[in-house]
Amino acid sequence: MTYAGHVVNHLRKDIRLEWRSRDSINGMLFFALLVVVVFAFAFDPTAAMSRQIAGGILWVALLFASVIALNQSWTREQRNRVLEAQRMAPSPASALFLGKALANFLFVAIVEAVLAPLFIVFYNLHALGQGWILAAVMPLGTWALVCNGTFFAALGLRTRNRELLLPLILFPISIPALLGMMQATTGILSGEFDPGPWVRLLIAYNIAFTTVCLLLFETVLSAE
Amino acid sequence: MTRSRIYGLVGFVWFLMTIAAIVYATRLALVVAPTEATMGNVQRIFYYHVPTSMLSLLFPYVNFFASLCYLYWRSRDPLKALTADAVAIASAEVTVVYASICLLTGMLWGRAAWGIWWTWDARLTSMLLLWLLYVSYLMLRKLSATGQAHTLAAVLSVFAAIDVPIVYMSIQWWRTQHPAPVFFGGPDTGIDASMKPAFGYNVLGWAMWGIFLLLFRYALERRRQQVEQDAALQAIEASLEIAQ
Amino acid sequence: MKLSWIFGPSMEAHHLLYAYVTVWLIQGGYAAWIAWHWAHTGRALRTQNPDRRDES
Repeated sequence: MTYAGHVVNHLRKDIRLEWRSRDSINGMLFFALLVVVVFAFAFDPTAAMSRQIAGGILWVALLFASVIALNQSWTREQRNRVLEAQRMAPSPASALFLGKALANFLFVAIVEAVLAPLFIVFYNLHALGQGWILAAVMPLGTWALVCNGTFFAALGLRTRNRELLLPLILFPISIPALLGMMQATTGILSGEFDPGPWVRLLIAYNIAFTTVCLLLFETVLSAE
Repeated sequence: MTRSRIYGLVGFVWFLMTIAAIVYATRLALVVAPTEATMGNVQRIFYYHVPTSMLSLLFPYVNFFASLCYLYWRSRDPLKALTADAVAIASAEVTVVYASICLLTGMLWGRAAWGIWWTWDARLTSMLLLWLLYVSYLMLRKLSATGQAHTLAAVLSVFAAIDVPIVYMSIQWWRTQHPAPVFFGGPDTGIDASMKPAFGYNVLGWAMWGIFLLLFRYALERRRQQVEQDAALQAIEASLEIAQ
Repeated sequence: MKLSWIFGPSMEAHHLLYAYVTVWLIQGGYAAWIAWHWAHTGRALRTQNPDRRDES
């Protein structure tokens, strides 16, 4: 079986498992919504101010929401000692990682798809810059969070305080990407500056870290 | 004399030399160096702040290199890998110590000289992020299950090392796009010749101290590792006895 | 040149003092921490030197 075949298998497995309970997606959705509402009380923005802060709020909400899903995504592998089976399976470890990361990407994308219209409604947004670039920024930003997040969630598999560890190690590493996605979104919404450099930063970040994650996952999986 | 005795002696001599260098450098900084024209005496914090900052950018590389060695030797030569791991944790802790000092002295200086505790300019933000990255490394070490901690931390170190240039660039861009007041001129704005001895000796003194800390912490870690190996050996032998 | 100005009333003087003391406390504190643990970690009897491990 080809590498892509393995990845697709892992992807299908995760989607199927998630679809049965839909725990992660529901949890993420509601959590992100709550964060948005809480921020509205924090700032109570005017229309002009909304365009400055909405980008930041959106990505903060998605960041926290995805941490919830990411922590859960590996617990599936721990039930019934599936992880040991994965280690012994002939498929390359990075295929497991990639499949899971793609599945998480899909789940967070679904949450975004629901959240974005709500955002537009709650903050009365319309983009003053080139709105179509958002179609590039959203996937790039989401992949940056999900790729590193899936990897670091695996790092915490056998630690105590597993849920605590993920944000502690994910957030510092993700700050350049967060800066990129927030600045790009703000640039597009407010139209005040060019989001181009930030999009390029996101692309470079994604290439660099996806490569590192794929190369080092084998090490992490067999870290005993 | 056994080897460890020799190491101990050398370490002690190094420690004495380091203390001498630091005392001399501090005297130069506080007493001999001239008072700065605009800022006054509070500028003397510079003699501790800048050398510490420069050194705090060096130890992360030691950590990165040691982590790579650990990952390389992990399956090939486990004993060498343990050595590399001891260097990795020692350098990470020293990085955090030096970065903390850089941030704190910088804040004290900033408040007295320019009236602000903090500003999100490129240099300060990058230093804060360096601090955060290495504190997260130490947290991972602390919270990981034993046996795994070394490998996971080494992997995180690789991520951190790749992240550092990206952080630096992105924050420079951020501040080019949204300029904030820049306060600290830094060593590249040029120091007066009369200040150079104080600066130079402080760099020397704190570098020597950093090496001392690194070696001392390394020695402690090696001791701990050997105690663990002892315990493991005893456990194995005990289990062999029962099997009869 | 006397150092008594360091204990002067101005914020500059205070912060200079705090900065230097902070450095000594942090550096000294860390070194003391290492030293304490060094004193309280027993020597490994059998794994002293990996090359000589088989001698015991």
